[in-house]
Amino acid sequence: MSETSNQQIPGLAQKKVFKIIVLGDSGVGKTCLTYRFCEGQFLDKSEATIGVDFRERTIRIRNEEIKLQLWDTAGQERFRKSMVQHYYRNVHAVVIVYDVTKPESFHSIVSWMQEVESHGLTNAPRVLVGNKCDCGTPESRLATTYAQRAADKYGMPLFETSALLDSECDNVESIFMTLAHKLYSKQPLRVISVEGDQSYGVVTLPRHKSRTAPPRDSCLCS
Amino acid sequence: MEHNNLDAASGDKFNLNGNCSPSPEKQSFDLNHTKNIDDISTPSELKFDEDFDFEDPQISEKRKEIERCLHSPDTVNLDQWQHLARSKGGLISDDYRKVIWPLLVGVTKDEMTEPPSLDDLSTHGEYNQVVLDVNRSLKRFPPGIPYEQRVALQDQLTVLILRVIIKHPNLKYYQGYHDVAITLLLVCGDRASFPLLCRLSCGAAAPLQPFMQTTMAPTQHLLNYMLPVIRRADPDVADCLDKAQVGTMFALPWYLTWFGHSLNRYSDVVRLYDYFLCSPPLFPVYVTAAIVLYRGGEVLRCDCDMAMLHCLLSRLPDDLPFEDILVTAEKLYLENDPEDLEPEVAALERREAEIRHADEERMRRRREAGARARAGRGRAAAGWRGVTSLAAWLPAVTSRRALLATATVLLGVYVYYRPELLFNR
Ligand SMILES: Nc1nc2c(ncn2[C@@H]2O[C@H](COP(=O)(O)OP(=O)(O)OP(=O)(O)O)[C@@H](O)[C@H]2O)c(=O)[nH]1
Ligand SMILES: [Mg+2]
Repeated sequence: MSETSNQQIPGLAQKKVFKIIVLGDSGVGKTCLTYRFCEGQFLDKSEATIGVDFRERTIRIRNEEIKLQLWDTAGQERFRKSMVQHYYRNVHAVVIVYDVTKPESFHSIVSWMQEVESHGLTNAPRVLVGNKCDCGTPESRLATTYAQRAADKYGMPLFETSALLDSECDNVESIFMTLAHKLYSKQPLRVISVEGDQSYGVVTLPRHKSRTAPPRDSCLCS
Repeated sequence: MEHNNLDAASGDKFNLNGNCSPSPEKQSFDLNHTKNIDDISTPSELKFDEDFDFEDPQISEKRKEIERCLHSPDTVNLDQWQHLARSKGGLISDDYRKVIWPLLVGVTKDEMTEPPSLDDLSTHGEYNQVVLDVNRSLKRFPPGIPYEQRVALQDQLTVLILRVIIKHPNLKYYQGYHDVAITLLLVCGDRASFPLLCRLSCGAAAPLQPFMQTTMAPTQHLLNYMLPVIRRADPDVADCLDKAQVGTMFALPWYLTWFGHSLNRYSDVVRLYDYFLCSPPLFPVYVTAAIVLYRGGEVLRCDCDMAMLHCLLSRLPDDLPFEDILVTAEKLYLENDPEDLEPEVAALERREAEIRHADEERMRRRREAGARARAGRGRAAAGWRGVTSLAAWLPAVTSRRALLATATVLLGVYVYYRPELLFNR
């Protein structure tokens, strides 16, 4: 019930808060990606996420300070249903991550999407992220065209990146900034959306690719 | 003792045994040389930073007492071991723990068998998940541990976990189990930690057993006991948690790993294990409540917001006074018997179910509105058709889901009290 209090009063000089939930199979790099975005570096000693971890970072859009709250969830199946459910509440945007070297993690997108939809987030901005593009050979990684088709089907932008590479830092940045901008632009609608649900229907999601830098150029591939 | 026989490998040419204390200088190893796991020293010889500069005289006295007991273990009964483990300072040193922990849970020497090789186990369905988690457990090893030794211990850890879930196929691995397993492994070595971990995982009163069911619903239910305990002790703090709807997730890793995952100081972790190994299964939840109560002031000062509170509570400060917290937890346990709390937990869960239901109702309306808006704009593009039809189909699903959720919770409650039902199948 408690949509965070400080974001609800339009016109007050309080920080807006955008909540983003990060989903994906265990080991795809959700924790490393959120850490990269919030702390600006690669997390060497990543640990399994048990339940839900929380990170945040303040950004600026059009000179306005905005708090991005990232909810980094556990990938293991048994944590999903009942456990994480609580954290879907009042989420504004969704990041779904897969590992470009693990086709199974890509195939799981279907079930992650189902989960997203079952929590009423069908119209929330979403992005698809293929992580670990520093790993393996171009042949061993999931083909971009293939991933792009899935992204198009679900109407979300695709990013291919690496939490590991410093050179990919900007790309990780743009994942979350894309969402932030999208949320920012629909902010006035969102504010009244606590009970006035209609607002969600008015938002159009991109149905075509809007990927940023072509990943092949920016990844160090062995 | 028998299980010390790994020490026999100390003549090994890497001489790991003499060098496993945290030393900053790097040792050079031939990384291509594959070493047998058995060549590695007993893990409990690994030294975490310990401060020997000053020892509380009370602890020195206790040390002597423990040594006396260990000298003639046959004259010491379980109550006495438990008393040593629970009273201030716990079992003090890993040298004592590695002998006493098995005694606390009633593991005998002949249960401490040679582990199988990793290769024999690698076809197991959970193998990949276990390895993934074990590979990310670096923080749990003593600082400065030589690379080779760490890798060997990680293999032992994988073997240990797989051994248990192979022996008990009804038990499901969860992320966090590896944190419990590694604590046992570091203290007791690979032979003793297997029966120990089995004892903790399998059986009606086994403390980890509820975590290893098909879903986390039983765990969630048990963790809910924390809230009425807090409420009875400090209604203001409870109100704050309640108002923010922070839930119990911040404490989930604490409970699932007996704090192994969440505390930076190894000495705190093993101290808590001393206690938990001779406590009722629900006791860690009372420790959780005691920690929240100890931090009550911070809770009250914090913005009453789910994210902020989750953030505050989930990060445990390094300087928690665990001896005091354990005393408080014990007191809380005596004053608030789990059975007494049942009605309060049930009421809480009913309320949660109602909120969930209301949420689902809200989502349903939102989906319908969304579908209407889209249909109205005549934009049921190919990509959205699936969604639209899904929305039409969802009301039925929603109520089924709510029913299912309630049923799961009830099943959780039931299974917790009648765990044998699951195990005797
Ligand atoms: N090469 C490479 N490795 C990565 C990258 N991102 C993460 N990793 C590694 O992949 C492993 C898993 O990363 P995590 O971020 O812990 O994975 P997660 O998705 O949070 O996993 P769960 O918490 O279990 O759900 C770790 O060992 C990381 O070091 C990357 O971009 N490149
Ligand atoms: Mg993680």
